Parts: sequence; structure tokens; C-alpha cells
Amino acid sequence: MNELLTIARKEFFQAITNKGVLIAAFIFAVWFPVFTTLGILAGISGDPGTALAGHLASISVMLAIFMGYLFSSDAFFREKKDGTILTLLCAPVSLRQIWEGKVLGVATAAYGMTLLSVLITVAVAFAFSPVGITLPWLLLVHLVLILPIYAAASAGIIGSAQLYLGMRENQFLGMGFVFLFIFLIFGLQAFISPEGGVTIQNELFFFVLGFVLLLLGRRWAGRLSKERIVRTIA
Amino acid sequence: MHAIRAENLSKSFDGRVVLDNVSFSVEKGDIFGYLGPNGAGKTTTINLFLGLLTPDGGTATVNGADLGSDDEARRRIGVLFENNGFSERQSAYENLRYYGRLYGMEDPDSRVDELLGMIGLNDRAADPVGTFSTGMKRKLGIARAILHKPDLLFLDEPSSGLDPDAQRMVRDLILSLASSGGMTVFINSHHLDEVQRICSRVAILAGGQIQAEDSVARLTASGKERTVWIAFEGGNASEHVILAVQNLPMVERAEREGEGIICTLTGEGRVPDLISALVAAGFRIEEAKKQSANLEEIYLRYVHSGEEAS
Repeated sequence: MNELLTIARKEFFQAITNKGVLIAAFIFAVWFPVFTTLGILAGISGDPGTALAGHLASISVMLAIFMGYLFSSDAFFREKKDGTILTLLCAPVSLRQIWEGKVLGVATAAYGMTLLSVLITVAVAFAFSPVGITLPWLLLVHLVLILPIYAAASAGIIGSAQLYLGMRENQFLGMGFVFLFIFLIFGLQAFISPEGGVTIQNELFFFVLGFVLLLLGRRWAGRLSKERIVRTIA
Repeated sequence: MHAIRAENLSKSFDGRVVLDNVSFSVEKGDIFGYLGPNGAGKTTTINLFLGLLTPDGGTATVNGADLGSDDEARRRIGVLFENNGFSERQSAYENLRYYGRLYGMEDPDSRVDELLGMIGLNDRAADPVGTFSTGMKRKLGIARAILHKPDLLFLDEPSSGLDPDAQRMVRDLILSLASSGGMTVFINSHHLDEVQRICSRVAILAGGQIQAEDSVARLTASGKERTVWIAFEGGNASEHVILAVQNLPMVERAEREGEGIICTLTGEGRVPDLISALVAAGFRIEEAKKQSANLEEIYLRYVHSGEEAS
């Protein structure tokens, strides 16, 4: 457990000191949700609190996934590309512990950035809404329970994929992720329409799906071998 | 029990045989040089010992354990790859501390201080490793590898990218680790001069097989028993002297080197016979020295024969 937390601490520090990634994450975290939220509020006819909660529920999941992807590049891909991971693989920790530690560190940073984005979005919405907004308590559950799962699932699956795939395939993975993200933007907004708000059914669905994705990433990591990682470095 | 042992070790990549029934062992406390041309399989061998690759056949054990499946056994091993394994944004201190904790050190701080002092990086301890020169990173890499006081060290090209001063520092450090700490050191290197200076034993890998494995002294002594350097009274040997020596029946070749001449004897030629013949011919000999081959000559000979055989 100590080793796992040691790795997690280091990856968290790495994530929050990578200026390039931080700037990209911050721009995305502010620009995308704030503008879409203002658009939603301008066009809504029902209760703005319900609309804002519904919109935040879907957009924050997408953000958590995106941030997991963004922050995981340093922890998995870069370490593999420059060979740093070889030294880590020789330490007295299992491959599973390495994966879990990295996912924990990356997911913590990704979750933090997603929360920050949600807070900024809510603040902007409150500031620009012509009427008062009351957010449902279920949104708090979403923020506290659902988002960390998606940040971890995203970092876990992307991390496993980056360790499993070769350098060239990893470039395709990056492009594939952008398409997936575009699909998610439309798919999730169709799943949760802002007017419907955030519901227990939606949250249950998010929870189960996120948990399955997290287990999928963990299972993939469990099937990874050091040989596979070493042979796909070049 | 051997510190390191490879028994009939084989490994292929996509049908290309890299190691073919390789067997050798390293005793505790040895500094072992593992030599071979690029692509010969040196790094593959290290990766097999470290459990990063799985052998197709045979076994690779370190302290009797398979490092691939034994997490605890890896606690006693130090490793330095060509990439030093550092996070460039973290400081030297933080990097060492991180690995100290990974190796289960409760309080690595005093050991980190000690090592940073030893490699002369105390005043740069708080600087990000990304701001270090190649040599500084290498020294820090060695400090990282010995941080947890392992009893066996794998070093992949330890002097790569170092200036002569730093190379000497690394050499001295390795020698002191082996002599005072009793550490076994396995060195993968192209730096033959360095290997000749510090290694007690070497193995030469070429064509997927071990071409030679012996102590450095025995390998170099066996390589050139037919060569002798002779200096004559009065300084530089003239062309007349070289020609006269060349015509002696036991001499295959004679050529000037420094203030003397190097004589390569025929298969039957012996050094005492040459000296006697020179004295009988009226030459006054100032100095005669039997030449031993350097490791580079031995290495090239074995590598070429190994590559031809494969």
C-alpha cells in the first residue's frame, strides 16, 4: 500500500507541475463548459436549476474522461517512450501496483481539474442567469461519487492501452480518443437532456457504466506483462 | 550459489534468434563485463535477468531467484539503464527519495544526503533533474541504483555520455562498491578500456552465443604471446636494424613503435630465441617487453569469429 501511495503521490505531482498539460486542461475546463452552459441557459424555457444540473451532469463526465486522458500521457506514455518505466518495472512493486498507483495519482489530478471546471461553470451560470438558480442535491452526489470513477476509469483504460500498444499505435489511440470524445459530447447530451435534469436513474446508469469501465481497465492492466511493455517501447 | 547464472538461455524476437543457449555465471563480489556489438543481445540478456523478458528456453537467475516473479528478490538489486529513470521535473532529492520509498526505506533522507554528497551534487539537490547535464544525470543514476544498498548491481553503459573526469569517478565508485561493499556488479558496456580497467571477468557475446568467458588477465595474456617490444642501445632503431630483425628466422614481422620495434614471432618462434639471436648478431638490447593484447583486440577477434560462425 505504501508503494502504491508513493507512486500515486509522484504521479499527482507530475500531473500538476506539467505546465503544458495544465494550460491545455485549464483552457478546456473553462472555455468548453462555460460557453455551452451559457448557451443552455439562454435557450431554456423550464427551471434553470434543473437545466444547469442536467447539463453539468453530462458535461462533467466528459470532462472527467478528457482530463483522465490528458493527465495520463505523462504517467504512462511519456515514461514508456523515454524508457523511464524500465527502472520502475525493476523496483520491488508489482505491475498491478504500478498501474494502480499511477491511476490514483492521475485520476486525483483529473478529478481536481474537473471539479474546478464545474465550480467555475456554476459560478458563471449564477453570475449571468437573469433568475435565481437552485441546484438539486443529486448533483452533489454526481460530483462526489460519479466523477472520480470516470476520471479513474479513463486514466486506467488509457494507461493500460498506452502500456500495451506500441509507439505508433499510441498515436492512433490519441486520434481515436478525439473521435470518441466528439461522440460522447453528442451521445451524453442525447442521454441526459438538460430539461430532464439529473435523475437517480441517470446517476445509477453512470455509476454502473463507470464502474464497469474502471474494472475493464483494471482487468486489462492485470493481463499486461512486463515483456509486452518492454517489447513495445521501441 | 552464484550471484548471477544463465543456463542455456535462449530468446528470439519474431523468429530472429538473439540468444542461443547462452550459459555463464558470475560469482559474488565479481565485477563482470558483458561485451558485444550493437544488437548482439546484451540488453536482452540484462532484461531476462531482471525479469523484464521471459526466456524462450533455459533459466536466468539472480541470487538464485527469478526476478520476474519474485518482487522481494528485486529489493536486493540495483539497476541503471541507459535512461537514468528520473522524472525531469522533480528535483534530484525528490527523485532519490521516491525510489528510496519504493524500495521500502522508512526514512531515506539521510542516505539521500549521503549519496548526493558522494557524487558532488549536494548543492544541486533541490534543482529539477531536467536542468542537469548528461554526466550529472548519470552520476545521479548510479546514486539511485545503490540507494537501497543492493548486493547486486546491473549497469547498462554506466559511462555513456560522461567526460573523462566523470568516467574516472564512476570507475572508482564501482571499484569501491565491489571491494569495500562486496557488491557484485554486472556491466554492459562498449567502453572496452573501462571494462579492462575495472572488470575482474568478462564474457563476449556475438552471433547469439558466448564466444569467450574468462578473467580479463587471462584473456589478454592469451591473445598476444607472440609479440615482443625491443628497444636498442642508443635510441631509435634505424631501418637497417628493422630489416636485420625482420630477416631473423623466428620473426614474422618487425615494425617501429616508439623508440623500439615490435616483433611478431612466427608460430615456432620464442622470445628467448629472438633475444639470443639479436645478441649474437651484435645488437645491444636496452629493454625487451613481452606484449599483452588489449581487450579491444581480443574483443574484435572473438566478435568477428562469432559473427562469421553465425
